[in-house]
Formats: sequence, C-alpha cells, structure tokens
Amino acid sequence: MTTLRFDDIRKTFGTTVALEEFSLDVREGELVSLLGPSGCGKTTALRVAAGFETGDRGSVHLSGNEITRVPAHKRNMGMVFQSYSLFPNLSVAQNVEFGLRTRKVRTEERRRRTMAVLDLVQLASLADRYPHQLSGGQQQRVALARALAIEPAVLLLDEPLSALDAKVRTTLRDEIRRIQTEIGTTTLFVTHDQEEALTISDRIAVMSEGRIEQLGTPMQIYRQPSSGFVARFIGSLNEIPAISKGPGRIEVAGRDYAVDHTHPIGASLSLLIRPEDTRLDPTGFAGTVVNSHFQGAATRIVVRVDTIDSLVEVHGVGDDLTSLQPGARTAVDFERSRAVCEARSI
Amino acid sequence: MNRRLRSLLGIFGRRFVPTMVLIVSFLFFLAPLVTLARFSLQNVPTILLGWSTLFDKWSLSGLTRAFSDPNFWPSLSLTLRLTLGTVALTMLVVVPTAIWVHLRLPRLRSTIEFLTLLPYMIPAIAMVAGIVVVKPHVRWFLNSDLSLIPFYAVLALPFTYRSIDAGLRAIPLRVLVDASRSLGGGLASTIMKVLVPNLRAALISASFLTAAVVIGEFTIANTLLKETLPRFQATYVGREPQGGYGLNLLAILVTVALFVILNRLTRRKTTPRRPYLTHDSSFEEQPRATTLIGEGL
Amino acid sequence: MLAGSSPSAGIHGGHADGVTPISRVRTWRARPWLGVVPFLLFLVLFLFIPALSVFYNALRTTRGWSLTAMGEAMTGQNLEAFRFSVTFSAGAALVGVGFGVLLAYAAATARRPTWLRGLVSSFSGVAANMGGLPLAFAFLSLLGRQGVVTKILGAMGWDIYSGDFTLGSVNGLIIVYSYFNIPLMVLVTLPAIDGLRPSWREACSNLGGTTWTYWSRIGLPVLLPSILGGFLLLFAISFSAYATAAILTDNSKIVPLRIGFFLGGDVRIGESAVGYSLAAWMILIMGVAMSLYWVARRRSEKWQS
Repeated sequence: MTTLRFDDIRKTFGTTVALEEFSLDVREGELVSLLGPSGCGKTTALRVAAGFETGDRGSVHLSGNEITRVPAHKRNMGMVFQSYSLFPNLSVAQNVEFGLRTRKVRTEERRRRTMAVLDLVQLASLADRYPHQLSGGQQQRVALARALAIEPAVLLLDEPLSALDAKVRTTLRDEIRRIQTEIGTTTLFVTHDQEEALTISDRIAVMSEGRIEQLGTPMQIYRQPSSGFVARFIGSLNEIPAISKGPGRIEVAGRDYAVDHTHPIGASLSLLIRPEDTRLDPTGFAGTVVNSHFQGAATRIVVRVDTIDSLVEVHGVGDDLTSLQPGARTAVDFERSRAVCEARSI
Repeated sequence: MNRRLRSLLGIFGRRFVPTMVLIVSFLFFLAPLVTLARFSLQNVPTILLGWSTLFDKWSLSGLTRAFSDPNFWPSLSLTLRLTLGTVALTMLVVVPTAIWVHLRLPRLRSTIEFLTLLPYMIPAIAMVAGIVVVKPHVRWFLNSDLSLIPFYAVLALPFTYRSIDAGLRAIPLRVLVDASRSLGGGLASTIMKVLVPNLRAALISASFLTAAVVIGEFTIANTLLKETLPRFQATYVGREPQGGYGLNLLAILVTVALFVILNRLTRRKTTPRRPYLTHDSSFEEQPRATTLIGEGL
Repeated sequence: MLAGSSPSAGIHGGHADGVTPISRVRTWRARPWLGVVPFLLFLVLFLFIPALSVFYNALRTTRGWSLTAMGEAMTGQNLEAFRFSVTFSAGAALVGVGFGVLLAYAAATARRPTWLRGLVSSFSGVAANMGGLPLAFAFLSLLGRQGVVTKILGAMGWDIYSGDFTLGSVNGLIIVYSYFNIPLMVLVTLPAIDGLRPSWREACSNLGGTTWTYWSRIGLPVLLPSILGGFLLLFAISFSAYATAAILTDNSKIVPLRIGFFLGGDVRIGESAVGYSLAAWMILIMGVAMSLYWVARRRSEKWQS
C-alpha cells in the first residue's frame, strides 16, 4: 500500500515562501496533479517529496513511514524531469537500466526488466540509440521508462510535457495516464496546463502562492470552484460587478437576484460565472454582440452588456447563436446556481 | 564510514578545498605581476631588498623610461599600424566568410572550422621558416614592414573565427537577413546596418584578440627582422633593465585596460548563464566578450 | 521594391533597375562555394605556401627529392630534442590540466561571492593570451636569480638555484608555461562544467546513485572529451611556444628554439634541409595533436547541446 503524505510542510528560500501549510494525502494508485501558475510552489512540493529539498517544518510520509530525513537516493521514487534529463553518454537501454544497476540487480534480470519497460513505452527498437539521436517526445518516454524500471513506490513527474510540441503533448499525456493506470503506481504530477490536469488526474490540487487553494476531482474543481482564484485558473470565466444585498441576495445592474453567498450588505462583489452557464435570454440584460466565433463543437459569443459595461462570454450550441452578427442586439442571463461571488477590491 | 565523518569530508571537499584552490591561484597569478611592478618601479636591487628598504625609491619613471629611447616610437608606431591593419584585414576576410558559410554553406561549417585550426598546426616558428624559403621570390612584398599583416591575420584566425562564429550562432541570422532583404536591403547594407550592430560583442572581442596577438608576436618579427614593439622590448631590456621591465609592465597594464573596456562595452542585458541553478535557456543572448575570448579555442 | 528606396546591388549583384542578369544569378546560386574563395585564397597564400615551402626544403636536395634530411632530423641530437620537447610539453600540459580543472571546478561551484566566476573567467581570458616577452620578464622578476621569491626563499634557507634549477630548466619552464596553460584549461573546462545539467545529478540521485556514482558514471565521462581536448591543446601550445622560451633559455633541446637556431645561425647549404625537416616534423606532430583535439572537441560539443 504505497501512499504519500505531506504533513504541514513549510519551505522558504531566503525571503520567499515557497510552501506554506502544505498538507496532502495521495492515495494508493492515485494520480494527483499539482496545478498552478509559475511560482505557486508545485515544483517545490514535488522536490520535497523526492528529497531534493527539505521543508523547514513538517514531514513527509511514505506508506506510513516518515521519510523526511531520508536522503534522495534512498527513497525509491521515480522522477521524470521537464527535459534533458537523460544521461548523454549512455544509450537508451543503459539509461533505463541505470536505477537497476545501482540496486545491483543481476545482468539477466536487468536486461529483461529494461526491455519490458521499453516495450511498455513502445521504444524497444531504439534501445541502442543515444539521447541526442531521439526526438523530444522519445526522450521523455525513455525518461518515463527509466523511472518505471525500478518499480518505484511513487512516480513523480515535473511538467514532463511542457517542453514538447502540442501534438506530441496530447499523445504522450494519454500514454502516461494509460501506463499509470495499468501499473497502478501512486503518482504526483506537476503541471501549469489545466487541460492536462483535468484530463488525466484522479484528483487535482490547485495551488497558489505556496498553498493548496482547492483539492478535489476534476469535476469538482471545474463545477464547484471554491474561490475566485480556482475559478479563474480553470476554464474561462465571466466577471460581472455586483453589490451585496446581504447574504443570499445581490444586485446586478439594478436587478435583484438570489445567489448563494455570505458577504455583508453593501460589499462590492464580482459575480463569477462560466460562459457555459451563461445563455442568451430575451428577459436578461440587454447588450450588443461584439464578436461571434464558431468553434465547431460550440459557438462563442462576446456581448457588451449596456448597463454593466463589461464583456460577457456565452458558450453554447444552436442556430440562434451561430446566426448572430457583430452589432446585433441581444440579451444575456446566467444560471444562478452556478455563480460564485467574490469580494471585489476597488 | 560513519555519518559525521562523511559529512565532514564532504564539507572539506566542497568548501575548504575549492577555497584554498582559489586563494592559491589568486596568489600565483598575481605574484609575477607584483614583482614585475616592483622591479620596474622601485629602484632597489633585489639583494638590498629587505623590510627596511621596502618602501624606498618608488617612482613611476620606470614605466616611461622607454619613451626616451629613440627606437621606441618607431617600433610602437609600426606595431600600432600592424594592429590596425590586421584587425581591418580580419574583418574584411573573416566576417563575410563566416556569414556566407552560415547562410549558404551550412554543411561546410565544420570543414571551415577545421581549416581555422590549421594555424595551430603550423606554429609561428614553422610558418616563418616557410616564409624564409619563399623570401627570395617575393622580396618586393616582404620588404615592406606591413607585409606582416596577413601573416598575423592568419595567426589570429583560430580566435577570430571562433569568436565571430559564436556571435553568429547566437543571433537569428537567417531571419535577420531575410527580413532585411525583403525590405529592400542589399548585401552590403544588410551586413553593415543589420548584422554588424547585432554582432558587436563578437566583433569587438575578435578585434581585441587580434590586437593581443599582434602586440605580443615576437617570433615572426624577430626572424624577418622587422622592428616591432616586441622586438624593441627584447633588445631594450639589455640596455635598460628597469625601463625594459617597465615597458613590459606597461604592455600588460594596457592589455588589462583594453580588456576591462571591452567588458564594459559588451555588458549583457540579461543575467548571464549560471551553473548549477535551473534556468530556462530559450533564446541565447549575444554572448559576453569574455566568453567569446574563451570560445576562441 | 518600396517606392523611393534606392535600387541596391542585390545579393546577386544587380543593375540599377533591380533586374539581375540570369547568368549571374545562376552562378551564385549554383556555386555558393565561390563565396569562400577569397578566404581560401587568403589561406593558400599566407598559410599553405609557407607550410608547403617547409616541406619543400625538407625534402629537396641538390639531386632531387629525398627523405634523408627528414630521417636525420629524427636521429641523434635531434631525436633527443624531440623526445625532450614532447615529454616537457606533456608535463606542462598535465600540470595545466590538473590545476585548470580544479580551478574551473572551484570557480563554477562557488556561490559566494557571485562575481567570482566572472572574475576567474575574465582573468583567464587575459592570462591565456599573455605569453611571450612580458610573461618571461615577469617570472624573471619573481623567480629569476634576482627574483623576489628567490630572495625570500633564500632568506628562509632554501637556495633554489643550488641545484640545476633555472627558469629555463624543465621545471622552471613548466611553472612559467602554467601561467597561460592553467587559464587556457579553465576557459575550456568552464563551459564543459556548465554543460553538466543539474537534472542529471538529480536523476542519478533519484535512481539510487551516490555522488561517487554520478561522477564516475556520468560526470567524468561527459567531461572527458573536454579534458582530453584541453590536454591536447595545452600540449600543442606548450610544444610550439617560442618567444617565452627564447628569453629564458638557449636550450637547443626545445624544438622551436632549435629551429630558430637553424634559421638564424650560420648554416651551411646542406644543413638547412635538416633545419626544415625539424620544422616539418613539428608540423606533423602538431597536425596529429590538433586533429585529435578537433575530434575531442566535436564529441564534447555534441554532448553539451
């Protein structure tokens, strides 16, 4: 039962706080993504798990055993770096078997396991090539094979796809997920790409400034963002200025609405609502179409609402949307149950 | 080995030894310069040097004594002219060639690079031996003092080519040339107005390296009996030891000053690449001159 | 063409109306190597001709071509000289490599002060090019018979000139040559050390390797081409250095000096071929050394990218 647990980790670099009260439980066989913008601490958390950094405070546990003071080379974790981590003077096969050699596995078994894991990433035919002869995608697959060959307790991936072309990124992403579920390794995946995180994770930890803003399944993160930050970071978002009329009521552009929130009366708010939860409604707020983009699966309309003077995006399907031209008059309304209210600083 | 001992050795290796190495190196490289300065600027023979006489008879006259020798100024003038000529010739020959190779003959790049290593294979003394062989046939050419210029340019070639090559690699050459040409620029104006400003560091360091080679070149000048500054330096010391040493000190000081100016002129705008820290090296900035001098090898 | 822009000579050489004759365009496009002809001409005139002349004189006798002189240049006293020069240059190169790598590593890994690495790199750039006369005189003032350090050591009871040490002896020259050999090695090694990515170190550690594992299986092997290349470069430079040695000694066992003597002294007609043979052999040895250096450098560049 390999579980990874971070317990209240704090890590500073000089005056910068990289991690603050960082606690996370990764369950067996689960893939948890650490998602956030640059500098949010996600890579630091990964490196703390790997043993390359030690927290100023807090502890790390592997299957119940505390490993906070265990040196990196004894932790039995497999790590895939962002790029260029293959040893240039060793062939693909020699790279992959590196961890097995340090563990003094016998030659026959080493060979067998190396070829097995190279088969897994479908690169067995390139076993004798050298890293500089491989493409970026191939290199990362070798890196993955190298990390998996040692049958690690935990798999750590530090933005493994960021340096690759878009097309390669999607194929490799799905492959990583497929292999991970097949082998069942507990995995921690760091990325700044929300689409990546949403696609492959069992759970996502959205991070900002050293803290976990929200931890949940992809569906939860997307549908029920717990804060403005999470809502903005994932997917697209409309922000509409409003005023609180007390808990549960707000005023938007002169109209009263019942929206779930707890802000005091008179507080300035931003109403956050996703474009899919915004619709064209003749009884809604009048506005003028600014732009209309047919994107195949859905149509994206940008409307300038008269009374609020902000741009509102509407995503939807249907001929009523696709036929709208810039300059046309229309009206928008939103799904109140999906809205989140956030205090707005003037 | 227990942990305490191991970590102590680690600290020893990682902190103490490197620091000692740096300090010892610092002393080793500074000492000769210090004693050179002492000899030229202090009129106390070494035998009499002691704690009591340590601060006696210092003056700057040693530096400038050479100036009063009648042979000094002509030799300085010749060396300066040779320097300018060699730098000019290098720019005229090497820069267009390097650009051309980068643009039109990328497959020949490694061959050309190998060619620029040939001057190493044919060191100055061998080269001058060869020159002596053909001397009778080209007396009209070799009689001129300035005939040294092309040979000096050859001697400097490994440094200069590598320098300019590195500079070219750091700029998006193809894009710049295409952009310039699409806007109507011809070959000459492309080079002068677009490429040269972007290659500033490389060109300056190539010039500096050339100058260093010319100012220090002794072998060929000596054999061909051209009265350059190094030749003067060699003979003058016999006549006036202090003045001679002072002249050498001056040469070193001028070289260092040139170098400092060079560095200032090519100061990088982004932070230079740092080892052992993670960084994102997407677009390479124009390399700093000191790096280019190092790359001239 | 933009209105108002001056019709410029295009890269193909054009006419005032911007139209280039087809024949000219074809020439440039079809034969791009024409562009390097000036450069090649320059090399031929001022490098190849002197070099070939050396071989010409080495192989030519009054009766035609002959290898006698080349043979003679490698026997007896001449062979002694080559042996001496080769061992001496190798020794100087080894010293340079050893200390150079140490210094480069010390400078590369030093965090504080932050300007240290830049200083070492800059200084190495200057010192590596410092050779010849100023260097010789500087060391004369340091370790010569009237040198300051000589005097200090003498006062402490150690007369360094009591044996057969002089600045012109093997040990003396090695010390002096180190002044440019070590910085040269630093300049070669620093980029190589930079090329050692931190992710390799971490990956090695992550896979169970210790510091020893890293250096023995990855670090040193990756650095090896650069180190070997540096050795060859230092060897070549030490072997062919003339000016510094000329000031410090008249030891005819140093091949460049020996050639100098042949060139400058009274030389009878027959003997000059031997002198040129010495130079020819020197070119061959340097050729081998620099070719090996070339190979090593290509290899190290491949891994540094």
